[in-house]
Amino acid sequence: MTYPELECLKLERRGPIGWLINNRPDRLNAMSARMRDEFALAWTELDRDPEVKVIVHTGEGRAFQTGVDVAEIASDGVGMERYRRSVEEFDLHFTSWHQQVWKPVITAVNGLCAGGGFHWIADADVVIAASDAEFFDPHVSIGQVVSLEAIGLIRKMPVEAVMRMAFVGRHERLGAPRAYELGMISQIVDPPERLRDEAQALAEKIARNSPAAMRATKRALWGALEVGLTDACRAGAGELVSMWGHPDQEEGPRAFSEKRDPHWRDLTEP
Amino acid sequence: MAYETLLVERRGPVGWLVFDRPDAGNAMDATMFRELEAAWRELDRDPAVRVIVNTGNGPAFQTGVDVVQLGRDKQALREQSRRTRDAELRLTAWHNQVWKPVIAAVNGVCAGGGLHFVADADIVLASSKASFVDPHVSLGQVSAYETIGLVRKSPMEPIVRMALTGAHERIDAARARQLGILSQVVEPPDELRDAAQELGEKVASNSPAAMRATKQALWGALELGLTDASRAGARALVSMWGHPDQEEGPRAFAEKREPVWQPLEPHERTTA
Repeated sequence: MTYPELECLKLERRGPIGWLINNRPDRLNAMSARMRDEFALAWTELDRDPEVKVIVHTGEGRAFQTGVDVAEIASDGVGMERYRRSVEEFDLHFTSWHQQVWKPVITAVNGLCAGGGFHWIADADVVIAASDAEFFDPHVSIGQVVSLEAIGLIRKMPVEAVMRMAFVGRHERLGAPRAYELGMISQIVDPPERLRDEAQALAEKIARNSPAAMRATKRALWGALEVGLTDACRAGAGELVSMWGHPDQEEGPRAFSEKRDPHWRDLTEP
Repeated sequence: MAYETLLVERRGPVGWLVFDRPDAGNAMDATMFRELEAAWRELDRDPAVRVIVNTGNGPAFQTGVDVVQLGRDKQALREQSRRTRDAELRLTAWHNQVWKPVIAAVNGVCAGGGLHFVADADIVLASSKASFVDPHVSLGQVSAYETIGLVRKSPMEPIVRMALTGAHERIDAARARQLGILSQVVEPPDELRDAAQELGEKVASNSPAAMRATKQALWGALELGLTDASRAGARALVSMWGHPDQEEGPRAFAEKREPVWQPLEPHERTTA
């Protein structure tokens, strides 16, 4: 599959891994209206490429992502009003979760992650970071509300740390080591230049597993954030059972006993 | 009652439920599935048992469904398949509605379905050589119940990573403690059971009725939104008002003696 040429993002494939790279380094990868539209397209492109088993999302330059492009908001005469309807109706399309991508998604934080950048921390399955990555949420320091990103994060990690970032605003930063301790991320890459290699290696590990089983697992786990524990287990049972009779369930144990790599069904196969 | 695949013992106020198929990594065969339900109920019914410790014999803690039996004799696990499908599992204390405190003492590798017993325990400690791995997706299986429980109780990202990396990565005891999946790592490993007994006795010195209501309130909180959970929790609080332990606790404290708690009344189980 060839990917469309985009202005604010880069799409690439390396083996079974699809890469989505934020590409406005001179604006610290802040999200313009154009970039916002491109995200919706980019996730869908990678999701429908059958060669892509796992997706890695990272950024060019010294920032991973720094939220909405405040310069554009301040100067284009439309400002945040451009987004009113989509936000009021919670009809957003810029993360993999918004776009219902059920392939595994790894966010590789290459530097600064600020404000709206947390969307891609909250909505990723796995997050790793360069050792010099830093996290902070300046919303309240510029009169903005912290909401969606932090709502996602407080479901996924200790709440106090998220509240502190929300209220301290731009006056404090969370470093990669503390993010690791808190379980916000699962790996620190040092030196930072190794980030992409490590992300590719991790993604290739994940790509060795059954795509269909991972899709059902991902649905079960994200679904668990929607309902109570007992109901989540009932819904999870549905995901479990959905794989019964799938060829991967025979192939997995057989490959294991024959000491070879399994040949999984593609997600596109019936 | 005698068990084939488990050891059920009592040491003072602490009941022990020990996986005992060390040659099979303590994997659950059809017999163990049946016996687990009986063992939890036996310990839950016994008023002398205040706290239950769950551990394994041999190098592994628990490694999930016995895939050898599954490969040889699918029929044997047919009942478990039905229960999995219908969300009617009876493996863990939570499945069996045991409201006594349950401590998991993870003595070695805990793999796949073994994570049920970590997810569903109240307190978890581990020997320094314990590790956690979820190979489901590497075998074409879905990871659901165990990890659904864990993502409610610890940071989610490391659990999702474990579920998606499958057989190719594991979490060690030190990292599990840092993440709050467990609260204590015992070094050297052979002191795990002593540490679990000691912790069990500490817990056993508290009011059984107050702990039962506490456990119901906290696990109930995983079912509901915050305000609804707080409302249900308020009912749990009030359920103890007028209970003799609420007089005995302060009196014993003032008299500088150990309290004498009321034994637990047996409770009704609701059917799923």
